[in-house]
Amino acid sequence: MAAKRVVIVGGGTAGWMTAAALAKLLPARCTVHLVESEAIGIVGVGEATLPHIRAFNERLGIDEADFMASTRATFKLGIEFVNWGRIGDSYIHPFGTFGPGGGEVDFHQFWLRLKQQGINVPDLDRFSMACTMGRMNRFALPSRDSRRLDSTFGYAYQFDATLYAPYLRAIAEGMGAKRTEGRIIAVQRDGESRDIRSVQLESGETIGGDLFVDCSGFVSLLLDKTLGEPFEDWSKWLLNDRATAMPCRTEGAVTPYTGVIAMPYGWRWRIPLQHRTGNGYVYSSQFLSDEDAATALIGAVEGEPIAEPRVLRFKAGRRRRSWVNNCVGVGLASGFLEPLESTSIYLIQAAITALLELFPQDDISPVDRDEFNRLIDLEYDRIRDFLILHYHATERTDTPYWDYCRTMEIPDSLAEKMELFRRRGRVVKYREGVFLDASWVAVYLGQRVIPEGHDLRADAPSPESLVAGMQKLAADIYGLSGAMEDHGAYLRRYCPMKDAA
Amino acid sequence: MRDVVVVGGGLLGWSAAAALRRKIPALRVTVIALPPPADALAERIGSTLPSIIEFHRDLGMSDGDALLRANCSFRLGTEYDGWAGDRPSYVHAYDRYGQAIGTASFHIHWLRQARLGTPAPFDAFSPAAQLARANRFVLPDEDPASPFAHYEYGLALDPVGYPRMMRAYALHLGALERPGVPRGVTLRGEDGFIESLAMDDGGTLSADLFVDCTGPRALLRNELDQAFEDWSEWLPCDRLLFADAPPPADPSPLDRAIAHGAGWRWIAQSASRTSHGFAYASDEISDEKAVRTLRGHAGADPQAPVAIRQGRRPEPWLRNCVALGDAATMVEPLEWTNLHLAHSAIDRLVAMMPDRDCAPVELWDYNRQCAAETDRVRDFLALHYVTSGRTESLWRRLRDAAPPHSLMHTLALFRERGRLPFYEEETFGRDSWLAVLLGQGVIPAHIDPLIDVVPPADSERAMAVMRDHITRQIPALPTQAQFLGNIRRQAAR
Repeated sequence: MAAKRVVIVGGGTAGWMTAAALAKLLPARCTVHLVESEAIGIVGVGEATLPHIRAFNERLGIDEADFMASTRATFKLGIEFVNWGRIGDSYIHPFGTFGPGGGEVDFHQFWLRLKQQGINVPDLDRFSMACTMGRMNRFALPSRDSRRLDSTFGYAYQFDATLYAPYLRAIAEGMGAKRTEGRIIAVQRDGESRDIRSVQLESGETIGGDLFVDCSGFVSLLLDKTLGEPFEDWSKWLLNDRATAMPCRTEGAVTPYTGVIAMPYGWRWRIPLQHRTGNGYVYSSQFLSDEDAATALIGAVEGEPIAEPRVLRFKAGRRRRSWVNNCVGVGLASGFLEPLESTSIYLIQAAITALLELFPQDDISPVDRDEFNRLIDLEYDRIRDFLILHYHATERTDTPYWDYCRTMEIPDSLAEKMELFRRRGRVVKYREGVFLDASWVAVYLGQRVIPEGHDLRADAPSPESLVAGMQKLAADIYGLSGAMEDHGAYLRRYCPMKDAA
Repeated sequence: MRDVVVVGGGLLGWSAAAALRRKIPALRVTVIALPPPADALAERIGSTLPSIIEFHRDLGMSDGDALLRANCSFRLGTEYDGWAGDRPSYVHAYDRYGQAIGTASFHIHWLRQARLGTPAPFDAFSPAAQLARANRFVLPDEDPASPFAHYEYGLALDPVGYPRMMRAYALHLGALERPGVPRGVTLRGEDGFIESLAMDDGGTLSADLFVDCTGPRALLRNELDQAFEDWSEWLPCDRLLFADAPPPADPSPLDRAIAHGAGWRWIAQSASRTSHGFAYASDEISDEKAVRTLRGHAGADPQAPVAIRQGRRPEPWLRNCVALGDAATMVEPLEWTNLHLAHSAIDRLVAMMPDRDCAPVELWDYNRQCAAETDRVRDFLALHYVTSGRTESLWRRLRDAAPPHSLMHTLALFRERGRLPFYEEETFGRDSWLAVLLGQGVIPAHIDPLIDVVPPADSERAMAVMRDHITRQIPALPTQAQFLGNIRRQAAR
């Protein structure tokens, strides 16, 4: 069995993540050849991630502190959502549980029961390590002992994506991946099977391969432009089609969480890195011009801008199939969901993981290809519903944009989930989905989807014992968090960036 | 929700009543204790899956309660004999089969070694399977480093002692027993909910929710609709025979399922009996011949044949009536899922208990989960037939028939490169699927590439160490009789 020649089209985060993973984990099965053009920019705008990225880095043998120093990274315990349910609202979607975790009845059910009885209990986020640490601006690595309260949170990173790609490039090239600089001007396909045979560069060079990975970003050079795979458009639910991004100097705190602030026609991100803060306004061009968006962003950011606002264009949705013939789309080439819940790198990672597991041996097997597409569809569909929830669960009436979101028709799969939560706080369980129960609970309650009832099993304990237990829990969480180091101090000690900006 | 009436007085009705009272003390639970019919398999099949242990724990009962008060014993798995043509028998235990080596899971290493030579059978790497084959039993080791730490075990129930204990426990928890037999059901005009039951003593009984534990006849639930999804194209047995013989002095924790030209038969030893049974397709063998066959093996007279129709209700819960056990799903006892499915439904019922209005969206979620769980159990059972190596007409027909779509998906992925897809509400974990697939000789066409980073000699060495750790310890471990004796002595102290 000969090693497969893998050609990756496009550098950037998706391209180099794929190259590093294949080179490191399948050294005998494939050769990796990445083609990228420095003339084509990369989309990376300062990236907030999900905890899954830690497993990816670990598989590649990456040392955390070194990686964080190199990408000027900060820790991320969750996302703060501001102004979503109503203007003035704020909640944190934490990485981790509410309550101590475990137990057959979800913690929020006991909390709901007391609230519904008219008993005064602290806000739900006081029972989350991640929320409490975030609000107090503290950080420590979670304990590995699952009996301990400080094992009940996870974390991810906020880092400079323009530095992550070169970091991975060094790993990939160290493992033997080849890189060619150049712009692709033509793609050759087999007359019979219609598989891609080679790509041709401006220089005249032709690069042949057995498997092509399309990491060309929105251009979708192979999947769309060459193979013509149709795009499933989700913009009726996810209206935003533009973002304007602009970094600024950090004036506020270097928070261990990403800020996501609802705006009149979309939302704004705030991603604090070690050397600066990334900002961007994601909006709908139906409602807001690029100029007005840029003005609004400049007016909203906390510190002196470091660059001019840069506009990105996109459309929510995905290619009907991500793997077609001998071409696998990874990242934006295969689909786009706005970064509201920091899923971009997660989706890249999911595609890479599936590709590693289903990597072809002889001919590409349709069984493997179909399974890859099934797995990717599942990921996209579930994230899609979770994102739509943020827009739909709002009471905002201040602009036609929010009027549309509040009253739009939503997918049945989401309508059923919301109805179940409204009735008695039930979260439809999906073990394979990226967002688990606590994520849904945080967003529902944070955006005023308040259950009418609760799980009847939560009625078993006496109210006195429940209240006492909750007070102790909140106090313990507060105490543990308060004893932790300041997030900024932790970074300076653990992973100071290598050279100042 | 205030008033619940449970109809059915076997172990299932009492288990449901106990769980409802224990978890939701505000409910008033009344049991109409009809004796279970002969074709209610969740009541009759004594072998249970490990989920029963968790079910007991949730109720506040311990293993000791079941062993000492209800004369139960332990079981570790099932040996499948004659299912895969000439291949040797294999054991499905509730355990890990080997340990991951490097980043690739164990079975990938085993498959690679199988290409290079003849590794020990797959079940040689499951400590519980080897323990069971050696007729020995211990509870899992609390030290996670021990090879004997990760298995689960089920119970073999005493058909008399166990329901009796469950009844006593439910009554202790405050369930009420109502004598009499329901003679009719009155439906509410506006929405078709069950309003009340007319009892043979002239009384009526109303409730917010009715739980139907009356077996396949589904006395209440059938009044609302009789929709049924038939599985006979994949699961061919439509008759069961039971024959109980006295218990052996030292009951084996390993049940046996022995394939037969017309179905399969079982031997399940326990502290209370040796349960023999025969599941068969009535168009392949006559009842008389089946009775003779089982009598020959059991050395005891079988009871009258029981007809079963395998399949499930699309909606076990409709309006204010929920069907549990055989009233919801009928499936042959292969892999002993009957009571497991009923327990799982009780847990779900308790967790999802709605308001009096039994809102369709909440019932939809309940029915969706039940369907997902039951269909995967169907797939797991059908797997034993569709991958068999037998040549009789029944087996050939099943091997050539298209399996259910989700099983076809699983088989296609596994045959390609040993992958198993994830399904929601799966009863049997990956190791269980692997034990049966590899035990039946289903060998993938390709080896997962992630294994390349570990040289075959390293796999071989690691596998030898695993086997050694298992085989070295077994001779020092007790038999079931010795182990149960120890427990009884400790309890008596």
